[in-house]
Amino acid sequence: MNRLIGLLFALVMLCLPRLAAAQETPAQGAAPAEGGGTWATIQKDKRLIWGSDMEGGGPFIFPREDDPEKVTGFEVDLADKLGEYLEVTPEFSQGQWDKLLDLLRAEKVQLVINGYEWSPERAELFEASMPYYVYALQLMARSDDAGITSWDDLKKPRPDGALMKIGVLTGSASQEVMEEHCGALCEVIGYDGNTDAMREVETGKLDATLQDTPIASFYAPSFPALRPIGEPVAPGYYVIYARKGDRQLIQAVNEALILMLRNGELERIYSRYGIWDKQQQELFTLAEHAKFFGYEKAAQVEVNTADAPLTQADVAVTSTRKRGWVVVQDYFPVLVKSAGLTVVLAGLSFPLAVLAGILIAVGRLYGPAWVRLPLTAYVEFLRGTPLMLQLYFIFFLLPELGVNIPAFTTAVLGLAINYSAYESEIYRAGIQAIPGGQMEAALSLGMSPTQAIFRVIVPQAVRIVIPPVVNDFIALFKDTSVCSVVTLIELTKRFTVLSMSTQAVVEMMLMTAFLYLVMSYPMSLIARNIEKRLGGSGVNV
Amino acid sequence: MIHVDALFKRHGELEILKGISLTVNRGEVAAIIGPSGGGKSTFLRCINGLETFQGGAVRVGPHVLSANLHPRKDAAQLQKVRKVVGFVFQQFNLFPHLSVLGNLIEAPMLVDNEPKESAVARAVALLDRVGLLAKAEAYPRDLSGGQQQRVAIARTLMMRPEAILFDEPTSALDPVMANEVLGVISDLAKADQTMIVVTHSMRFARQVSDHVHVFAGGHDVEFGPPDKVFGDPQHETTKSFLKEAGKD
Repeated sequence: MNRLIGLLFALVMLCLPRLAAAQETPAQGAAPAEGGGTWATIQKDKRLIWGSDMEGGGPFIFPREDDPEKVTGFEVDLADKLGEYLEVTPEFSQGQWDKLLDLLRAEKVQLVINGYEWSPERAELFEASMPYYVYALQLMARSDDAGITSWDDLKKPRPDGALMKIGVLTGSASQEVMEEHCGALCEVIGYDGNTDAMREVETGKLDATLQDTPIASFYAPSFPALRPIGEPVAPGYYVIYARKGDRQLIQAVNEALILMLRNGELERIYSRYGIWDKQQQELFTLAEHAKFFGYEKAAQVEVNTADAPLTQADVAVTSTRKRGWVVVQDYFPVLVKSAGLTVVLAGLSFPLAVLAGILIAVGRLYGPAWVRLPLTAYVEFLRGTPLMLQLYFIFFLLPELGVNIPAFTTAVLGLAINYSAYESEIYRAGIQAIPGGQMEAALSLGMSPTQAIFRVIVPQAVRIVIPPVVNDFIALFKDTSVCSVVTLIELTKRFTVLSMSTQAVVEMMLMTAFLYLVMSYPMSLIARNIEKRLGGSGVNV
Repeated sequence: MIHVDALFKRHGELEILKGISLTVNRGEVAAIIGPSGGGKSTFLRCINGLETFQGGAVRVGPHVLSANLHPRKDAAQLQKVRKVVGFVFQQFNLFPHLSVLGNLIEAPMLVDNEPKESAVARAVALLDRVGLLAKAEAYPRDLSGGQQQRVAIARTLMMRPEAILFDEPTSALDPVMANEVLGVISDLAKADQTMIVVTHSMRFARQVSDHVHVFAGGHDVEFGPPDKVFGDPQHETTKSFLKEAGKD
């Protein structure tokens, strides 16, 4: 029943862009219609920017084994093929999965292709393509676990009375379905990573997991200890999202998808990743109906059920699990490179934060009320709200006010602004610790208050606060990991991406921790050195 | 040179200076003595604007400080007076992050845009004069109190002040170090440097000053040439204060 409703929805959204585009036609003469905006840009630039999260992992999109800085996956192949049909160059843009639609809205990408299910709520806010994949949910348990042979077994407690524990992807359809199934009879536990739950079942921490079929199929070779239980259930649709109003773009995408399906190219792509299954037949039904909604050209193409043999280029892609030194050899250079971005981010933002912090501290201590009050508000506001939210505001919300700042600049500015609040408090304390006689001595020598502050008071305060400032620098250093929210792939993001795609979590974690340590420890040493050197001047501490 | 006219200062309810007038002509040395809490230091600090006051006026050469100045808004006016009136503190207040030489050349270079070479040359000469040339590269914390105070005097002299105010310059020092400092001040007096010295050293006040003022309870209760004030005090407060001071 659910499936029928889903199919109906799919048909409706397939026809919507066509109808709407037809209605818009008269307006196009004078000025380009709103819907033509992005599509016109894509055609002009000859490139299509699509957003996706490589941390999502196989088979969707994940780092290539031979070059972990590039991506592969069936969605990458799909985007490439889409580019061929639209005669543009597809350009992948990294974004955090749960922020992809924000990236779309902020005009940082033009399409989102990343296992996004079709839902009426999303279709309300964005333009959705026809489905490019029909997924379902597959229950999996350990092969040697005789206690689970069907969905109903999940509701039976273990002999010791413990409830069954089932892992799902947080916020996904699987969580909803499983919670409904279990009620109070079994326990549903949410995970953030696709394969985390599978690993937990393997180790015995969980009893079973419910996964989207592409993940279950693709990772089956990596988890030989798991087996599917029953048939897949609760099917749904992965669709491509575009900005509201970009109907011409979606129309072009739909046309290409129908052609790819009928040419057998979609089957060929999905087969490489072992995820072409009988559920996909439903796509043909959709394509069949497409001709009623104006996709005549695409619908006229002969159906080719991909009887052409797979060529060398089509060699199946499967997940493999590496361990030990091989992981270090293959991935350490990439991690080091990402660590470079971490260093650059910290190295650029911290001096700005310190400079702003000193000025804020001076303003708050010596400025008139109209300077003090806004600065106090600034400090309290920035200290009281999370860095992540501030970055989010700059990157995703400012574009709506017409201010579009690139990701790297956003990260540097965001970190600098956030830390300027903390630095200002440190310097305020430092300045207050300088005896009042210093200011009087400076003034009585004829210095202006400004000269006295910046040549006598601040230089002494700077020396006093070296330890807490270094402490803050190391904190900022690690806080750069938050910058993945604005699409930057620094060390921590690279770690999560690679550990997800390789399953070599322990190795990746050790390498990442090692890199952070190697970078931050010398700073402690340098700081200690500076402290000793400047301490020699005998500032009262 | 310095004319203070009916200076009145209140701190909350407490009246600290109750209308004090005082004049120091060019080349003169005035000593201010008297019991603690009599308003001596406050009076001195008012003259170069480290403290504001509620009544009267201070005139230094052509510059005037009027009542109720604002430390920030009237900074330019205050700065003009401070450029010609040096101040030596009881606690020296050397800049700990700068060397002795750095302490001396910082203000001339910053305030008067004096070239570094010229400032250093003058600093070296002044350090020689106060007997501390060997300590030019040392930091304040490496110096004794007496040495620090001599550096502080040299630092003040670097600004070529028309007058120097000394606020109990030897009170934080033991007798030996105090004598080093008093020696330097005496030399300045001989060179006709205009000075006001707040001091607890009666002997020193008598030796160097052209006139002595006795402050008590916010009033200048008695003043005159040192021989007169010390030799034939008129006011009861002066008599009892000198009697007490003489016991030391």
